[in-house]
Amino acid sequence: MNKDIFVVIEHRQERIADVSYELLTKGYQIAEKLGGEVIAVLLADDGDQMAQSLKSYADKVLYIKNEIFKNLHSEYYCDALSSIIGERKPALILFGHTVDSFEVAPALAEQLGIPIISNCVDFDIDGDFVRATVPLYGGKINGEYSFNAENGGIISVIPGAFKVENPQKSGEIEKIEFTFEKEYDDKEFIEFIEAAAGEIDITQAEKIVAIGRGVKDEENIDMIKDFADSIGAVLACSRPIVDAGWLPKERQVGSSGKTVKPKLYIALGISGAFQHISGIKSDTIIAVNKDPNAPIFKVAHYGIVDDMFKVIPALKAKIEEMK
Amino acid sequence: MHKLLIKNELLGCIQCGRCSAGCPVSLRTALSPRKLIYKNLRESRKLPKSQDIWSCTTCRTCQQRCPKGVSVMDYIIGLRSYQVERGKIEPTMRDALESILKHGNPWGRPREKRTQWIDDETDVRILSEGEETDVLLYVGCTPAYDPEIQKSARALAKILNDADVDFAIIGNDESCCGNEVKRMGELGLFEMLVEENTALFKKYKFNTMITISPHCYNTFKNEYALDFEVLHYTQFLKKLLDEGKLQISASIDKKVVFHDPCFLGKQNDEYDAPRELLKYLLTDEDNLLEFGRNRERSLCCEGGGGRMWLEVESESPRNAEIRIDDAKSIGAEIVATSCPFCQLTLNDAVKTTKSEDKIRVVDICSLIAENKFEETEMEE
Amino acid sequence: MNSVVCIKRVPETAEATLKIAPDGKKLEEENLVFSLNDADNYALEQALLLQEEFDGDVTVISVGPPETDEIIRMALAKGATNAIRIHHDDISKLDASAVASLLAEQIKDLDYDVVFTGAFASDDAFSLVGTMLARKLEIPHITMAIEMKQDDEDEAEISRELEGGLIAKYRIKFPAVITVQTGMNEPRYASILGIKRASQKEVDVVDDPTIPENKVQLEKISYPPEGKKAEILSGTPEETSSRLAEILKQKGII
Ligand SMILES: Cc1cc2nc3c(=O)[nH]c(=O)nc-3n(C[C@H](O)[C@H](O)[C@H](O)COP(=O)(O)OP(=O)(O)OC[C@H]3O[C@@H](n4cnc5c(N)ncnc54)[C@H](O)[C@@H]3O)c2cc1C
Ligand code: SF4
Ligand code: SF4
Repeated sequence: MNKDIFVVIEHRQERIADVSYELLTKGYQIAEKLGGEVIAVLLADDGDQMAQSLKSYADKVLYIKNEIFKNLHSEYYCDALSSIIGERKPALILFGHTVDSFEVAPALAEQLGIPIISNCVDFDIDGDFVRATVPLYGGKINGEYSFNAENGGIISVIPGAFKVENPQKSGEIEKIEFTFEKEYDDKEFIEFIEAAAGEIDITQAEKIVAIGRGVKDEENIDMIKDFADSIGAVLACSRPIVDAGWLPKERQVGSSGKTVKPKLYIALGISGAFQHISGIKSDTIIAVNKDPNAPIFKVAHYGIVDDMFKVIPALKAKIEEMK
Repeated sequence: MHKLLIKNELLGCIQCGRCSAGCPVSLRTALSPRKLIYKNLRESRKLPKSQDIWSCTTCRTCQQRCPKGVSVMDYIIGLRSYQVERGKIEPTMRDALESILKHGNPWGRPREKRTQWIDDETDVRILSEGEETDVLLYVGCTPAYDPEIQKSARALAKILNDADVDFAIIGNDESCCGNEVKRMGELGLFEMLVEENTALFKKYKFNTMITISPHCYNTFKNEYALDFEVLHYTQFLKKLLDEGKLQISASIDKKVVFHDPCFLGKQNDEYDAPRELLKYLLTDEDNLLEFGRNRERSLCCEGGGGRMWLEVESESPRNAEIRIDDAKSIGAEIVATSCPFCQLTLNDAVKTTKSEDKIRVVDICSLIAENKFEETEMEE
Repeated sequence: MNSVVCIKRVPETAEATLKIAPDGKKLEEENLVFSLNDADNYALEQALLLQEEFDGDVTVISVGPPETDEIIRMALAKGATNAIRIHHDDISKLDASAVASLLAEQIKDLDYDVVFTGAFASDDAFSLVGTMLARKLEIPHITMAIEMKQDDEDEAEISRELEGGLIAKYRIKFPAVITVQTGMNEPRYASILGIKRASQKEVDVVDDPTIPENKVQLEKISYPPEGKKAEILSGTPEETSSRLAEILKQKGII
């Protein structure tokens, strides 16, 4: 039986994504159970420093070096990973459920002919039997999926699902200079483009008022902005608001946006999809939502089940009174 | 020549400009009905692709004022229908239309919540198939879902109960009337709603239908072929009053002005019923004021014709804001109306003109309910 | 230039009350409204925009029961030229790889330059089928496309939207699979007359496809655990907000 857990490290512009540490933490627990090791798999060009910073989280850091890994190219990633996986046969391969893994993980599963469950918030392995929990329908239902991991399998986990703990290991770094047999010229990375720099950095904000699709109309945003201003908070939002072009991308909280850590987070008309709440690290989350069953109330500390357009003016008035 | 031009008598146009002069949005937006017709007749006989047509509120003023019987508004709706067919319409309108198809209402709300306006204190019977009632209350989408307007629905239900009217509603099976759908130019969806609603109504036995919104009233009365009486609630309450079944005591000693909803007034010639009801409420009849532009000349609030789902860009103030300013200048304290859309646009204008402490916008049925059930919770 | 668009019929669940069916594996469908998956709608629009620019066919393809024809007709009404439905009674029983195989089996024989899929479906959000399909067709793929620039019919520049608003730009040669993120364009409206007209167009039904074996099983679905619930403040807006203001003050937040 295979025992090791591979964690494919996600990095961009020489920074390792938080989700990789989360997966190493969880991978460590699973590997212990199996009596195997947790192995960080780092595909990079200039990765010595990153490999160093992974050491304390893993039993081993497999640093696979090639110039091509400077930027993501799924075909090269898959070739390198399948060759290593073919050789070392880990029990499970873990990815973050991120935009980059969408590009790689399913392709790798196909290439290796192994099962994959993506978009998980939790998983466990029992013998060869892997079971994973996936939030369905925007988090209103949980789905439980399983596969047989006899020949390995892939799990991709939503960022924020696990807490990071540093087990203070001192894993060895095994560096492999990788060479490719095949070339892929039908796809080519061109460049990164930074989103137009906004004046405000929501990741640094102490107070955030976030709006979701419940605002209904672009016009209504002014009123919320007024409220946010009055309590010295910064305006943020869920993704549909960005999609609609009502607020710029830098204001988006969540798994494809920013992770914020304000003292106060007020969620207005946000249902609380996992992709959104995984970007909130706050001690006081307040939710106003018309739907008493909205998942946001599961993470919020205080909730008001009502129309935000009734609550906000009242709240604004109350707070002003108190000042 | 395109059939749209012939059908709507465009060739009769003498370019007198009465249509544009009366058009409530021609000052705010690029829409000029006269110019539109001119261009279509003189420059090109192909239908214009102009986006200006989406500013039209379908208030019908142009059509009413035209000395040559040109169906100006119908022509504009016709133009819209061609753009709808091409599918390239404003996303907000697209969403409203798709929602009507999927959920039976333009607000994107699920059908299963259509009766959630009924609270613990509201006693409303929901009909099952085959059941009978004297009066069918057609609630309509906005009173069913919009928390502000739900108050009107509850108020009306209370009044009807108090007057011992045998009434009931359809419940979650009720669907959009299609008045706005037709005016947004989605004629296929409108036809479908007519068919489905007509079949739906046949499942119940009743004598009279009353509506909360003049928009629903308009289309049921004029554009469906229904075999029962359709009344706007103001007409029905007026009737109850005349028959002595409804008592209203004079209790309001504020200055009140009535804003004529286009779909009750201009389009259906009902100017008096709401005013009569208001007179009963006022301690002093002289407190019933009139706007300079009233009755058939009333200024459209821009809530009709699909404009609830379409923001028109303009530097000039919205008509609703002008209306609120006018109300203030004649010294009114209450702007009464009898249409959900008017209520929403005017209420919004009260906020944008920061007139909250001077003007209150309220539906006539809420005024009556407050008056009758003062001691209960009817709120300010 | 020909494109294929893979579409999925999904329930609208944002505001609906969801009930789990007795078999514990799917939802009660009775009161649910189904529609075209949001991201697929953007994928379809992108194909239609390409068609407007370069001419050619747009083929929509879906795996599902006969009810799927509703969304297929909508796509035809918007301008898709051909439609294929691969029949399956209950797609919740298929894993992503099986769906990709079923699609690939049909698509491989079509004459196409690009295959669009939505980047994810609103029900399970797996984001697997598009990439797997590319592998089965042995063509390159780009996922999470938010912008597409194309000067000729052989290749395109695609922007992928990464976390935090960073954009990664790629060049890709056709044929290729592109998975489309919501927000890439502005989907058009399908009028009812258009849909009615489209119901006359033919949908190619693959009645009895060979169903590939699942690698992943759905064990059951359940309501998420209650968790620690928020303290719900109740009352009128005035009451709730004054209570909340007090709490915030106590905590020294305001
Ligand atoms: C790969 C991927 C990445 C994603 N990344 C992100 C991300 O980074 N950030 C993100 O936010 N989302 C992200 N999403 C999308 C996410 O899954 C949800 O679709 C999204 O967060 C929902 O946004 P919402 O809560 O604003 O809208 P909805 O889910 O539509 O919720 C709207 C809520 O408003 C309530 N409401 C409506 N009207 C009112 C009113 N008047 N008063 C009070 N409440 C009202 C409703 O009850 C409802 O709960 C991602 C999805 C995927 C698949
Ligand atoms: S119907 Fe009213 S808004 Fe429309 S063009 Fe005529 S006058 Fe103007
Ligand atoms: S009012 Fe009638 S005749 Fe005069 S310009 Fe308008 S359409 Fe022509």
